[in-house]
Amino acid sequence: MTDLVSPMPPSGVSIGSEAGSGTAHGHHGHYATLREPLIKGNKSLAQVTDDICRPLEGKPTRLWYVGIATSVTMLLVGFAAIGYQMYMGIGTWGLNPTVGWAFDITNFVFWIGIGHAGTLISAVLFLFRQRWRTSVNRAAEAMTLIAVMCAGIFPLIHMGRPWLAHWVFPLPNVRGSLWVNWRSPLLWDVFAISTYFLISATFWYVGLIPDFATLRDRAKTKIRRATSAVLSLGWTGSARHWMRYELVYLLLAGLATPLVFSVHTIVSFDFATSVIPGWHTTIFPPYFVAGAIFSGLAMVLTLMLVARKVMRLEDYITESHVGSMCKLIIAMGGIVGLAYITEFFIAMYSGNRYEEFVFLNRALGPFAWAYWIMVVCNIVTPQLLWFKKVRTSMLTVFILSLFINLGMWFERFTIIVTSLHRDYLTSSWSDYSPTSIELLTLMGSFGLFFTLFLVFCRFLPAIAMGEVKGILPYGRKEKEPVQ
Amino acid sequence: MSPHPQNRQPDAQDVLPSAVRELGGPSGAGDAVRLSANRRDFLKVAGFTLAAAALPSCSRAPTHEAIPYMEGTPEFTPGNAAWYATLCGGCSAGCGILAKVREGRPIKIEGNPEHPLNGRGSGLAGACAVAQATVLSLYDRQRLRGPVAAGAAASWEAVDKAILEKLATLRTAGGGVRVLTGTLSGPTQRAAIESFVAAFPDGKHIMVDGLSASALLDAHDELFGARVLPHMRFDRASVIASFDADFLGTWVSPVEFTRDYTRARNLSEGTPARHFQLESRMSLTGASADERIVLAPAELGGALAHLAVRVAQKAGRPLGFPAAKVTKSLGKALAGIADALWTAPRGTSLVVCGSNHLTDQKLVAQINHMLGNYGASKAETTLDLEAHSNQKLGDDRAVHALVEEINAGKVGALFVAGCNPVYDQPEAKSLAAALKKVGLLVSLSERVDETSAAAGFVCPDHHALESWNDSEPTAGTLTVAQPVIRPLGDTRGMARSFAVWSGQQAPASDRDLMRAAWQKHVAPRGASPAAFERYWNQSVHDGHAASPRLRSRAQATLSVPRLEGLVPSPAAAPLTAGRLAVVLYPTVGMLDGRHAHNPWLHELPDPITKVAWDNYAALAPATAARLGIEDGDVVSLEAGGRTIELPALIQPGQHPDVVAVPLGYGRKGTDRFADIGPSWIESEPTVAEGGTVGVNVSSLLGREEGRIRYAGLAVALRRTGAKKPLARTQIYGSQTVPQHIRPGSDPRPAALSLTLAEYMHEEAGGHATPGHAAQPLWDDDHGYDGNHWGLAIDLSRCTGCSACVIACQAENNIPVVGRDEVRRTREMHWLRIDRYYEGEGEDVSVIHQPMLCQQCDNAPCETVCPVLATMHSDEGLNQQVYNRCVGTRYCSNNCPYKVRRFNWFKYEHADEVENLVLNPDVTVRTRGVMEKCTFCVQRIQEKKIKARNEDRALLDGEIKPACAQSCPADAMVFGNMNDAKSRVSQSIAERRSYRVLEDLDVRPSIHYMARVRQREERNNRDD
Repeated sequence: MTDLVSPMPPSGVSIGSEAGSGTAHGHHGHYATLREPLIKGNKSLAQVTDDICRPLEGKPTRLWYVGIATSVTMLLVGFAAIGYQMYMGIGTWGLNPTVGWAFDITNFVFWIGIGHAGTLISAVLFLFRQRWRTSVNRAAEAMTLIAVMCAGIFPLIHMGRPWLAHWVFPLPNVRGSLWVNWRSPLLWDVFAISTYFLISATFWYVGLIPDFATLRDRAKTKIRRATSAVLSLGWTGSARHWMRYELVYLLLAGLATPLVFSVHTIVSFDFATSVIPGWHTTIFPPYFVAGAIFSGLAMVLTLMLVARKVMRLEDYITESHVGSMCKLIIAMGGIVGLAYITEFFIAMYSGNRYEEFVFLNRALGPFAWAYWIMVVCNIVTPQLLWFKKVRTSMLTVFILSLFINLGMWFERFTIIVTSLHRDYLTSSWSDYSPTSIELLTLMGSFGLFFTLFLVFCRFLPAIAMGEVKGILPYGRKEKEPVQ
Repeated sequence: MSPHPQNRQPDAQDVLPSAVRELGGPSGAGDAVRLSANRRDFLKVAGFTLAAAALPSCSRAPTHEAIPYMEGTPEFTPGNAAWYATLCGGCSAGCGILAKVREGRPIKIEGNPEHPLNGRGSGLAGACAVAQATVLSLYDRQRLRGPVAAGAAASWEAVDKAILEKLATLRTAGGGVRVLTGTLSGPTQRAAIESFVAAFPDGKHIMVDGLSASALLDAHDELFGARVLPHMRFDRASVIASFDADFLGTWVSPVEFTRDYTRARNLSEGTPARHFQLESRMSLTGASADERIVLAPAELGGALAHLAVRVAQKAGRPLGFPAAKVTKSLGKALAGIADALWTAPRGTSLVVCGSNHLTDQKLVAQINHMLGNYGASKAETTLDLEAHSNQKLGDDRAVHALVEEINAGKVGALFVAGCNPVYDQPEAKSLAAALKKVGLLVSLSERVDETSAAAGFVCPDHHALESWNDSEPTAGTLTVAQPVIRPLGDTRGMARSFAVWSGQQAPASDRDLMRAAWQKHVAPRGASPAAFERYWNQSVHDGHAASPRLRSRAQATLSVPRLEGLVPSPAAAPLTAGRLAVVLYPTVGMLDGRHAHNPWLHELPDPITKVAWDNYAALAPATAARLGIEDGDVVSLEAGGRTIELPALIQPGQHPDVVAVPLGYGRKGTDRFADIGPSWIESEPTVAEGGTVGVNVSSLLGREEGRIRYAGLAVALRRTGAKKPLARTQIYGSQTVPQHIRPGSDPRPAALSLTLAEYMHEEAGGHATPGHAAQPLWDDDHGYDGNHWGLAIDLSRCTGCSACVIACQAENNIPVVGRDEVRRTREMHWLRIDRYYEGEGEDVSVIHQPMLCQQCDNAPCETVCPVLATMHSDEGLNQQVYNRCVGTRYCSNNCPYKVRRFNWFKYEHADEVENLVLNPDVTVRTRGVMEKCTFCVQRIQEKKIKARNEDRALLDGEIKPACAQSCPADAMVFGNMNDAKSRVSQSIAERRSYRVLEDLDVRPSIHYMARVRQREERNNRDD
């Protein structure tokens, strides 16, 4: 098993130390002709380490400072908005009794969706032996964790009395037999998301251990050495370490894989188990999972394309990586598009007047603009990626990924708001428009996302050095293709 | 058990929670100064001390002599309510009410079940929205707390002295002394004023109604020789034709009329009465009509003349004028009405007309006379002239003459009480200036209003709940008002004020004064002098006194009406192009504007337009489309140099030539509501800077032959370009979804209606089946071994009057949230009334549906709450546990009826005085929690405990939720569905019974009964 997936370096070269970094290697053109190499520039192992550690060890670029300043500002303004809302009440949002959720849960589902790509790339692609994942998995996993954190804000702040949020946990208490409601999908969410976050964080951290060891070995300051020493858990790069590491990584990948599907399935239960037409739909679990992966991939692309440019990682995140991601996006976009069509068909086929109306109302009603933004962004945009010219133009892919992010936000908005605002009794129909507080809160969540991501890029290796080295040709038999 | 268990027998004076001596009350407030402080008094003192302690703005300090509730008393148990029968001060209809008093505070108004006017018997009585809201006005901080002289607070002695001095000069000099009041029918006040004005060489008492029925009275004066309003007995009617009379909403005596009307239309007893409504705007009464015909105000006179001729033809009694020309469709409709009226048994049809035009009213009287509808009380006809009504006594012509007198400087002294002419008379502007010329202007208003602002002296009257008073709404029926709380301020009853100003030795208290008046004026008609004491006590206890002998006072004679010279008014000139006829009308909450300081009534959405906190210019859809006007566009109405700007509202069912505008808005001082409701960065004040709630439109009133003209003034309407989005609680009016989204779809089956033929014919859908219940997958969760509470709501009875909305608000401490929050559809009412239009354009029908928590047995809200804050009781209630709620709002999202209400903000109960109205049995909710209808669980518990203490089973009908209790139409029946004999079970078994959204299988405990209309076809199908 290990030789198939092994990122293990050739014998005698410990990638966890400086020992191997001095070795220089020549070109390996003969199998490169068979397939584009995953890592360009004929990097030596030492070069890989140097390239990836450079952003951590040098001074941050001006661009990084601009980025962090902007993100932190967004974060602070957003949190000020949240603070105001906490102080005044949920009334500072544009909600009403008919539309009880809007931006809050839209943002929540959006961020949870973003948080899917990381685990998909790390765990699912790992199990499928997709070696190209090594360049993007670290950042994607970090993005997952950050996105789940962003998502986690919303269920908390959407509560009327967030200071009592701990009541959603089945804590022993002195209030008689007061317990949580196991029938409520919101409670399922609590467990699904916290489990997902814990497993993803563990998975991410385990993957980081060899790299922490590299950082420790390269550290020039005491603090950095001390922290990375603690975090590397005494990693020496011995074969025994590598073997155990491999095993744990594989097991965690196996554990994390079902979670990719379960989390969004359970999030979709919030809607699917309700009685509201437009929510009460059996297609929701697969539809939500596909949508989540779709949006997550788009967000990974957005971040990767910026990171490779800003951090000069073009050799590691190559056009072929981007191409693979684009192909996945086409596939996922197809599933999502199919789901949209199926929804309409089922609504029509059901003969249920309420459901028929809800779907027609999405396309023709007051929020038709949101619906059509969703359709154009999520169905039309991915089709452009069929063209290689588009896929290889990094700027175009970047723009398209932004469109998909936008479209996926509107998908959740459409599902939540349009289903609620025109429900059963026409007398309770209502309108919805967000307040400034809601817009600023959304902005704040992006601020948090980018702030944490930029901090991550600054202090942790954005690419898994240990894993990337494993797909370099060193120590392999001649002519063995690396895929 | 006493027949009036809830009425305490008043032991003379001590019905007052009098805290006079202990609280250091002013000696001038002469109520209840008998100083025998026994145990009971002490308890009352203690009770009132609670109230007084929370009245920081009042001068009295809480007494140190207050004692805690440690000594029991057989009569007064802390935590138990005392109920007092008294008189409603909400309008001039004179309904009997019961005031619920807890620890000295009146907290709830309900109808008096035994009262002849509005009682329904068996513990139930209607009380309209206004009546129930008057309890909030009691605690209004802006009511004057004492007399005012020249704008400064003064003592009663000083004020009386100054007034008496001025009156003395008038008595000798002989200047005119005028007392202008609203309708006063009670013998006490009338006697006091009569003896006051009699003391002057030129003294006169004039009555004015903000909502005038002057022409109706004058017509009877001319035709029958008595200026009285016939007592309209809708319960005896089998055919009703109403011409622009909103008798179920605001006209004369709506609670009584609603009760009688629904009795006449009871489906289970023979053929229900048929109701035709001919009107130019969409009224509440029009919403209940079987046939509704839209006509322009200018067509009304012609239509009446046409009908009169047609009826006369049938009666074989030519009238001497030809049938007026009317449009073909109107002619056809009138022919149908004439047929229906004529074929009805003699004396059982009823034609009513809301016009204030003399000829119109004479024609109506003529038609009624030809149909044999006039009669004495014994004749059981629909118009009783013997026990006539006194609910409107105002005389527009006398008021007009007074205005001219004032302008001419002939009035030396003017006393204004219970009316506000500077606000509601057409000459408001010139009157305000002319009043300055009056040497002595005294207002008895409870606050500084438009009229009292000009007055040299304001001598505030008590609030109705603080007063000893009486009223004689119909000849022979006396409603008695007893105070239920000691006056909160240093106010004085009107009758006593006039007694003092008469210069005679005034009785020591309001009560003594009233007793004396009764001994003199009532007792001779009702009781032997020897039995007076018993008679008085019984009357005060019952809240009313009735005796056939009382009627001997009625002056009306049933002579043959003098009909010669009756000529229909010439057809009004058609509107010039680009002009619209303005129709000014009262709304259910504001009436003539007297309740403009009541936030409950401002927040009560109009039953038809569903707008709160504003008046507006209502336009027919076609007119609005022609002028390019949308909802919320500010338009200007201009006539004769007067311009008024109002937001537009598109109103189906209205005549295209009409712009309908509610009266009663734009009252001085309503800028006080600017800050009502939450204030945050995007909130808008309820009242714009320097403005008022709504706009005063009295300048658009006209005067014709001295009478106020409400309809027909031609105005030019223009868009101003400004926008003022209206605060509406319902934004979509039809049960049919928009055609551009789902063409050809059927209406959603929420509020169902059937034609009478369909209902009678069982196979053809007499059974209302909106859906089919799904087969359950699981066993029932709940056994309901004991009680299973249910509510049956009869849509055929519900008129949409909204009494239940305010009943619920008062009972359940529902906050007022202000205009901006209502605009965001975040009003907090647990019970709303859905109003659906059926059809389009002019020809629409309206159906009202009270919508409240359906208390589902398979409640979707219960499953989704993560913290179990909402759960099912073993009696079928969906309980909401406020202190467990974390506020995810998932329950509300998952509620198919959207009846849950969320506390978006901390709705301040900042006004400590107003907080005295809170029901101590119901929690005040904090921000961030969900709330909803509980079926008045506090009332259920109260009665269950009572039954258990008495070791007996609960009786059917014993528990009455606030909504069902207050319904004038008896449209709601509450009870135990497990008891097959209960009224609710019988209602549910009715053929018309159905549940809303039955096919969701949420199994609501509320059953509706389909509306039945007597018309040819069902018109709620669009295909």
